[in-house]
Amino acid sequence: MMSVDTQRIGLFLDNAARTATAVPQFTGSEAFDLDAAYRIQQASIAARLQRGERIVGMKMGFTSRAKMVQMGVSDMICGRLTDAMLVEDGGSIRMADFVHPRVEPEIAFLLKRSIRGKLTPLQAMDAVEAVAPALEIIDSRYEAFKFSLSDVVADNSSSSAFVVGAWCRPDSDLDNLGMVMSFDGRAEAIGSSAAILGHPARSLAAAARLADERGLELEAGSIVLAGGATAASALRAGLHVSLEVQTLGFTGFSVTE
Amino acid sequence: MSSNNPIIAAADALSAAAASGTPCAPVKDSIAALGIDGAYAVQSELTRRAIAGARTLVGRKIGLTSKAVQTQLGVDQPDYGMLFADMEIADHEIIPLSRFLQPRVEAEIAFVLDRDLDDAEITLGKLIPAIAFTLPAIEIVDSRIADWKISILDTIADNASSGAYVIGGSPAKISDLDLRLCGMSMELKGEPVSVGCGAACLGNPLNAALWLARRMAALGSPLKAGDVVLSGALGPMIPVTPGASYTARINGLGTVTAHFGEKA
Repeated sequence: MMSVDTQRIGLFLDNAARTATAVPQFTGSEAFDLDAAYRIQQASIAARLQRGERIVGMKMGFTSRAKMVQMGVSDMICGRLTDAMLVEDGGSIRMADFVHPRVEPEIAFLLKRSIRGKLTPLQAMDAVEAVAPALEIIDSRYEAFKFSLSDVVADNSSSSAFVVGAWCRPDSDLDNLGMVMSFDGRAEAIGSSAAILGHPARSLAAAARLADERGLELEAGSIVLAGGATAASALRAGLHVSLEVQTLGFTGFSVTE
Repeated sequence: MSSNNPIIAAADALSAAAASGTPCAPVKDSIAALGIDGAYAVQSELTRRAIAGARTLVGRKIGLTSKAVQTQLGVDQPDYGMLFADMEIADHEIIPLSRFLQPRVEAEIAFVLDRDLDDAEITLGKLIPAIAFTLPAIEIVDSRIADWKISILDTIADNASSGAYVIGGSPAKISDLDLRLCGMSMELKGEPVSVGCGAACLGNPLNAALWLARRMAALGSPLKAGDVVLSGALGPMIPVTPGASYTARINGLGTVTAHFGEKA
């Protein structure tokens, strides 16, 4: 296998994210494998940390079987979340800061202690301090949102921004909560938390396993975004996006030019 | 078989398809000039024949309650069809595939009424106390039209593409439920194959029930005490795989399983 300059590609993708510039996917002789992709992700995150950003958690991707089949993969992927990506609940984002942003409804977990390795969903839930409705703004840096599995992992699994609603105690059953994401008050996507691997706690357990496999930390205080409960919808300037989740409440944000 | 009356001719074609198990061509062209009213006239003719044949009317189904399906068929209203006693299937009962032509399943809420609703201007305030309880349901929809190539006229004429329904045995009180945000997951071999929530049905399944109650009262065939009303789907419709077992979980309402037999 040819050696891949993970450092160079990591900085290239970080630059694409920072300047909201679309780049072509890596094909042919430029393609790399999944292990290299996670090292590239690490290099791009290192560039963010150097600019003073701080890691606040992890996002999970490909958490529906349908999405895995569509992508021809058999496992979930993860990306890192930094404090600069956190948008205030009820706040706004600027279209100019993104390439072609989309939004999807999610469930967020807040950890009260670190998790790592093989855990059952029940053990993973035992480390949860709180849960909240969340909206993730995903933005592939690749042209036309076209990418391979390795491409998207290298691009921090398309993570770009996220909004979290008020935290709730994790004492309600999370396995089948109705979720309605609305654009300007009209239902845009309707689903249930069951779409996240059948139960969002399974995604949290998978996060602990992936963290272990990839040498990442999921410390106390970390936020884990469990994955989209519906297909993502494209954003545009002027929209107000809101999400209601059964028993957990709501969150939202606005989109400006 | 063929009749000069387009209503009778369409009813004949649909009856023959149901009886033979061989789907027919769309009936929309023959009744196009009569519009939606003509399509319901075909449905009424089929209902008349069913009752004459000793089938018992036990409720109604509401269809076209999702925005996506309404857009697909170019309508901005739901539709309704008749439920007969022989269409009710028990939870976990094995369902012979031979009953259907091209079955699909969708998860719904069943409302069971505790009184007659003969007011064409009934309000939500009067409808809610008239609902004795809810049950989780899987509707098995079917089309007598080949390859499900249906227009709005075809589906209305064809009893709103109804087939049968499976009903769970866990009655819940409506006041204990969040009918708008109740999550729904229908699973096949443990994988969610259709996911949604109450809001997918006209924003709230009660909106669909209210529309139906008013419509039935206005048409002089009001809903009766003990009737079952199927709300309309809470998530996408799924084609049935022979031998498959579909379990729908609706948050607060419980679960219901449609267990299909192998081929024929």
